[in-house]
Amino acid sequence: TSQAHEIPGVVSSYPRKWIAKLSDLVVDEPVDFLYPDEGAYADSVIVKLGVRAGSGIGPTEDVVAFNNTCTHQGGPLSGTYKGDTKSLGACPLHLSTYDLTRHGILISGQAYQSLPQVLLELEGDDIYAVGLFGLIFGRYDNLQG
Amino acid sequence: MSAPYYIPEMDVPLPPANAEIVSTACDYCIVACGYKVYRWPVAGNLNGGPEADNNAFGEDFPVNPLGPWVAPNQHNIVLHNSEPHHVVIIPDKDTQSVNLNGDSSLRGGCIAQKCYNPQTPTRDRLRSPLMRIYGILQPVPWDFALDVAAEIASYVIEKHGASSYGVKTFSYQYIENTYAITKYALRHIGTPNFTFHDTPSDVSSTPGFRDAGFDNFAASYEDWRDAETLLICGTDPYETKTILWTQWIMPAIQGGQKTILMVPRRTAGVAYAEQNGGMWIDVTPGTDLLVLNAIARVIVENDWQDKEWIENWVNNKWGSSSGFGQGTRNTPWQWRTTWGMFQTDGFEDWRNWLLAQDEFTVENAAAVSGVDPEKIRTAAEWMAKPKDDGSRVKTSVMIEKGLYWSNNTGTTQSVSALGIIVGAGGRPGQMISRAGGHQRGGVRGGGYPRNLSPMKLPGRRRRALDTDTWLYAGHTRMAHVIGTTWIQAMCGSEQLSVAFENLTVANPHQIRSYDKEDIVATLKKRADSGGMVLINQDIYLVDPIGNRYADIVFPAATWGEETFMRANGERRLRLYPKFYDAPGEAKPDWWIIAELSKRMGFDGFDWENSNDVAEEASRFSRGSRKDFNMIKVAAHREGKTLHEKLGEFGTDGIQGPVFMLDDGSLEGTVRLHDTTRELPAEGPAGGNMFNKKLTHFNSQTGRCNIQKSPWSLFSDYWEWLQPKGDELWCTSGRTNERWQSGFDDRRRPYIMQRWPENYVEIHPDDATERGIESGDMVMAYSDRVPSLRETTIGVEASDYSFAGQMANGNVELSRAAVTGVAMVTRHIKKGVIYMDFLHPQQPANALQGRIVDWISGNYNYKMGVASVRKIGVSPYKDNLRSMSFAPRDII
Repeated sequence: TSQAHEIPGVVSSYPRKWIAKLSDLVVDEPVDFLYPDEGAYADSVIVKLGVRAGSGIGPTEDVVAFNNTCTHQGGPLSGTYKGDTKSLGACPLHLSTYDLTRHGILISGQAYQSLPQVLLELEGDDIYAVGLFGLIFGRYDNLQG
Repeated sequence: MSAPYYIPEMDVPLPPANAEIVSTACDYCIVACGYKVYRWPVAGNLNGGPEADNNAFGEDFPVNPLGPWVAPNQHNIVLHNSEPHHVVIIPDKDTQSVNLNGDSSLRGGCIAQKCYNPQTPTRDRLRSPLMRIYGILQPVPWDFALDVAAEIASYVIEKHGASSYGVKTFSYQYIENTYAITKYALRHIGTPNFTFHDTPSDVSSTPGFRDAGFDNFAASYEDWRDAETLLICGTDPYETKTILWTQWIMPAIQGGQKTILMVPRRTAGVAYAEQNGGMWIDVTPGTDLLVLNAIARVIVENDWQDKEWIENWVNNKWGSSSGFGQGTRNTPWQWRTTWGMFQTDGFEDWRNWLLAQDEFTVENAAAVSGVDPEKIRTAAEWMAKPKDDGSRVKTSVMIEKGLYWSNNTGTTQSVSALGIIVGAGGRPGQMISRAGGHQRGGVRGGGYPRNLSPMKLPGRRRRALDTDTWLYAGHTRMAHVIGTTWIQAMCGSEQLSVAFENLTVANPHQIRSYDKEDIVATLKKRADSGGMVLINQDIYLVDPIGNRYADIVFPAATWGEETFMRANGERRLRLYPKFYDAPGEAKPDWWIIAELSKRMGFDGFDWENSNDVAEEASRFSRGSRKDFNMIKVAAHREGKTLHEKLGEFGTDGIQGPVFMLDDGSLEGTVRLHDTTRELPAEGPAGGNMFNKKLTHFNSQTGRCNIQKSPWSLFSDYWEWLQPKGDELWCTSGRTNERWQSGFDDRRRPYIMQRWPENYVEIHPDDATERGIESGDMVMAYSDRVPSLRETTIGVEASDYSFAGQMANGNVELSRAAVTGVAMVTRHIKKGVIYMDFLHPQQPANALQGRIVDWISGNYNYKMGVASVRKIGVSPYKDNLRSMSFAPRDII
């Protein structure tokens, strides 16, 4: 479903990393992980939204993952998930919020782009992160730092 | 996929250590954050690297939070001296003012994408003059277009009079341009058929402020921060003046400021304030005056007013009437048929009036405005109840268009009186001002020729000409439109569009020739036949004023393409240097005006460059809130130009009015009306100019006038307008992510993905009743959009009210229809819909009554009514890549 899948050159350069078991995910209970590496701003979050989402995986296309750093000025979004609006934020620095059903698009706020989406693949019950869509805050290249 | 989508860049080039750096300020909102442009050649592949000594920031990547990160949307490629250059434009991380910490909004944050680059959606910038020949806008040389325009202009002015030449222009798009335009239109042509982008006639936006003696931009940003209670009326600064909120008000809230926002939408700033002990006054459009006067009534009933301030700084009976013809009895508002309706004999007289009006009881104000009466009482307490130790709360009051464009005269009078009694206006942290919309770039090169306006009000003075009704009536034979959409920017815009079409392209005299003389003869016949010749000057071809109706289009150069000056909402003057080549043959507006003027035989337009214009304009800034004359004096002493000297102040700039100290250094002005400021006892030295507004108020005595604000002057219109049947209130404004008409945002793929169409925010209860869900395509429509047939017609004062105009047959009701994508959201008040005010395809202004405030001459843009009906499903309902229907109040 993602445009990104049509750009194999971008996707293939990312590591393939096991993230979680689909059967372990509970609606509206986000789980943190690191991707694409263990460097700065690799903090990411996977969540089962309970509603269909852009690039969502699983039988109901509702499992998505995002980088967890605000793309405005690097505020931490950890712990800001809201189940009623399926959103991340408000960022504690300048209040940006992001819609996780729509590829992390900005709802309200000041960020210069959507939240980078971690592209996922499902193999049986196993979920793998396979790429990123969007530049992570603080980096000039997602894989170079 | 039909919906707009956006593929983000995954990496970004970093500026090398030797990149050139140009300090500038953002082009967009009033706050004007400081920015730095990093520029380096494309040739040679000289990009910087992630190590601190390999990039222009001197920082290792990844950078820290708040660090100089470069988002892909902050990079572009431009021509500089005809060679391709990379530019990275990010907020200035070193600035000591305005956008502290190098903060930025989404708008300014993506300003690099404003720059012309034919490989981006900016490729349709106007690059050469165009002339409509055989119905098609075709490129022509500058001389050809200018010769024709100047000859027709001279002819029309000579034959039909100066008032047949209409000039509709931006008021703010840089000092050099506004000076040249007003010098041309007002000093040389002398036409009263002149006004700015946001009003049908050249009148004050805030009549009540003027009457009270308040400058619109007296406050400094630190005053909003230092207030203990801050009442914000008619705006959420987080949405529209982001950095004023994030760097000045948000920290104050964290420090305990009680922040009250009076708006019909609970957007992020409102939600943040509420979550942190502040309050949302969810006012119904048009009823702000009742709430403000009810707050004031609670204050005086409890005797909480600032007695010492009132004693020292408010005019009594004698002060109110003092001055030789300069008392409030002789202000424009008193001339206009309302003699005696506003003026008081001082505080006691005002209080007695306030207490005698039953509509200002808390219960009545709450019932009509739909606001919880407890909120009104709490607001009064927060603003004025003395602390336990008897000391006073520092209270400031901020207003913006949601307030003053709904009952323009009334709300600005009532908020001024409320500000006065709580002691706001003349002390640090205790100020009353506008927050502002666009930046302040106006300097007048000529006075408005009021005596030439044919529009007169009973018995007394003339009113500035209403350019909309004047054009509508066919009196404008040549219109010169500079940097505004005119049509969509005015109320009742669909009728105006019909008038433009009839006067221009529907006229039989159209250019169907290759010969300049033929062309000139044809356009003269157009004007003589009762039609109108239309010149449009802009950076993009605007629909419909440019691409459908204009005969000649001049391509303008803008931000970054010429060196300009401008001030922000705290009067902070900065230089906006040229850093890249304007597209094609585009020229700055001052140059276009100068070329026309020289052809029309006007002298004084032989400027070599924009600094020449700025230096000439400096003397006309004297005594104004952004007086920069002494910067020029200092510059010349030091052998520099005005632009060079201002540039030395970088992104920090200097706040006007600017003064020179004895040692030759320059000093700015933190706030106007600063009653705590001590000026030199010996008076101004050298070229310095002191005036009343530095330490006193802009009134006849230098003290404030406390004025009445009768609801009855407006209630007839409000009651007629209020929703009937299935109608809802329809208000409008600017969402954070878009600037003005979206002229740049429509060319930013990311913003188009976010906001591909206009939208209709509707409360869940109102949506359910109408079977509307988020993502449905809806029609907002009305068959009773009221508009004035002619300028106001009447003899007695009572004729001039809305009811009087109705009785005199001068109001016609027309239809309007605007489509939008429904956004069902909890953040809007029930009974109210909200849309983008100036979406060129779907202008909400079409639904707003073309009825001027009969006292001031302004439109009340923020209140109309509409029925809303589902007409289908938009592509955005189920496509998950564009738009978002999540509410804007998530905190």
